[in-house]
Amino acid sequence: MSRSDSKRAVPPVSSVVMRAAQAVIPSLTVVLVLLAVWQGAVSLFAPSEFLVPAPLAVVHAMIQSRQALLAAAWMTGSSAVLGFLMAAVIGVTLGSMLAASKFLMRGLYPIATLLQMVPLVAIAPLLVVWCGYGARTSIASAVIVSVFPVLAATLDGMRSTDLGLVELFAVNRASRLQRWWKLELPWAIPSIVTGLRIAAGLSVIGAIVGEFVGAFAGDQSPVGILIVSAIRENRTDLVFAAVSVAALVGFALFGVVSLVGWILLRRWHASAG
Amino acid sequence: MNIDRRKLLIGFILVDAVVVSLILLYVLNRPNAGVANTASGERVRIQLNWVPEPEFGGFYAALQDGLYAQEGIDVEIIKGAAGTPAPQMASSGQVEFAIASADQMLTLNEKGGDLTAVFSVFETSPMGIMVKADAPWTSLEELWKSDATVAVEAGLPYLKYLSKKVPDSKVRIVPTGAGLAGFERGAVQGQQCFVTAEPVQMELKKVPVRVFSLAASGYDPYAVLVVTKASWLAEHREVAAKLVRALREGWTRYLADPAKYNVEISKLNPAMSVEAMNIAAEKQRDLVAPPGTGAHEIGSMSSERWTTLVAQLQELGTISKQPASIDAVFWNAPK
Repeated sequence: MSRSDSKRAVPPVSSVVMRAAQAVIPSLTVVLVLLAVWQGAVSLFAPSEFLVPAPLAVVHAMIQSRQALLAAAWMTGSSAVLGFLMAAVIGVTLGSMLAASKFLMRGLYPIATLLQMVPLVAIAPLLVVWCGYGARTSIASAVIVSVFPVLAATLDGMRSTDLGLVELFAVNRASRLQRWWKLELPWAIPSIVTGLRIAAGLSVIGAIVGEFVGAFAGDQSPVGILIVSAIRENRTDLVFAAVSVAALVGFALFGVVSLVGWILLRRWHASAG
Repeated sequence: MNIDRRKLLIGFILVDAVVVSLILLYVLNRPNAGVANTASGERVRIQLNWVPEPEFGGFYAALQDGLYAQEGIDVEIIKGAAGTPAPQMASSGQVEFAIASADQMLTLNEKGGDLTAVFSVFETSPMGIMVKADAPWTSLEELWKSDATVAVEAGLPYLKYLSKKVPDSKVRIVPTGAGLAGFERGAVQGQQCFVTAEPVQMELKKVPVRVFSLAASGYDPYAVLVVTKASWLAEHREVAAKLVRALREGWTRYLADPAKYNVEISKLNPAMSVEAMNIAAEKQRDLVAPPGTGAHEIGSMSSERWTTLVAQLQELGTISKQPASIDAVFWNAPK
């Protein structure tokens, strides 16, 4: 783990903005070039609308269905955020417990790993049976899919605590709780932030899978229902628009987690540089 | 160190280029729709949109009795599953024939599809909404006025039809992906069904149900249609006619003795017992061939039915314009 020995100076805001721009411009350029190629290919080869929509058609669908898409983004985003927060709490708590006890780790970690292997789409119908229709199923689905990265990252972060520091805490007769709160948890934060970043994107996917089987449809429907409905109507442009909205929700969540991570780590950890 | 990293980068790029080229080669060389000649005749594929069930009984009867081979065609029936984009596969030329519903075909054609129907298994649509026998509703309209939870696939045209017919509807629509568990335990009070499938499952579980037919409510598109690409049909009418002749005979034989064929069909779909298939076959008999239908009429379609459907879909806003010609959306093979 790369870690500076002393607190680092906080970089000025202008330099942070410059670096953010430097990071965004290349990927934005690549995205724009890809979209231009895609638009050009569709104009040149004119495939059927139901096969591949042109990017401009997707933008048109976004504008035309903006109210439905905004409502969908809000509904799916809410489920994803709630699921993510629950996964964060469960993942960090379980990860800490597993790090504290070899018995628990040997007993529970293989089961947690096994649960991660279970395909979510296969158990999603069961979630409806257990949680009922509505947002509860989407939230449960988001929790299931995003809890493991947090758990694994927490466990990994805590188990990599500097042994010298562990001994120092022991010499000073620190209690188990003090060691966890003042040493292991701070030490694991960079790792936990990485796990949370992965979980952020996964929570949106989980919420949508839950919506496929358990969400209410109506004038305002979540992204999962909007996608299913658009597929049924052969509205490939709307499918792409809904998928783009889902990606934006995931990206926003990822951005918030990254920002929180940066705020937590910027003064003392190289990964926030 | 820098040189090593550069070499590594070049290596990665080369590997990526090879992988992308191989994928492209595979995609470009994928067998496309056409008519290949095999030892048993011209080979065509039918892509089902669901698992083998009695709704495809005549297809398998024709296969089991060698009717396709007698016509000089080698037919491969490809099983489907939930979400199989069967009509899209036919329209993009990946298979010669596929299964679709009439409304699905018209919607796809408006989005650039190029499909023509050549055979309709169901003369009357088997779609309906299933409720428990002791449910308080006596009609589909009554159910739709209630605040019941109904499991229906979002985006189906008949949802719009019912919403238009019952504008003050309070039903809560949920997906069908959770299966019948919700219906059984009462979380869902209405369940989209094929009269030949879900009600049979309930019957075998001793859960008495009633089915409100969509056809009876006024929305009756042809169902389980065999569709093909119009441009393909123009060049292969004789092959299509052979297929339709074999299907007519296959359905005639299946309707006469479904149990004889269901044993083999059940082997292709072990999730559905022979007993369930036999019950389903009886339930669908009149929907496939209403009393008085001649053997040569099975699978035939009429301009009137298509015209009605086009008008309904236009009114619902599902399609925005009429097909260039109603006669171009279906083709009845010579009897």
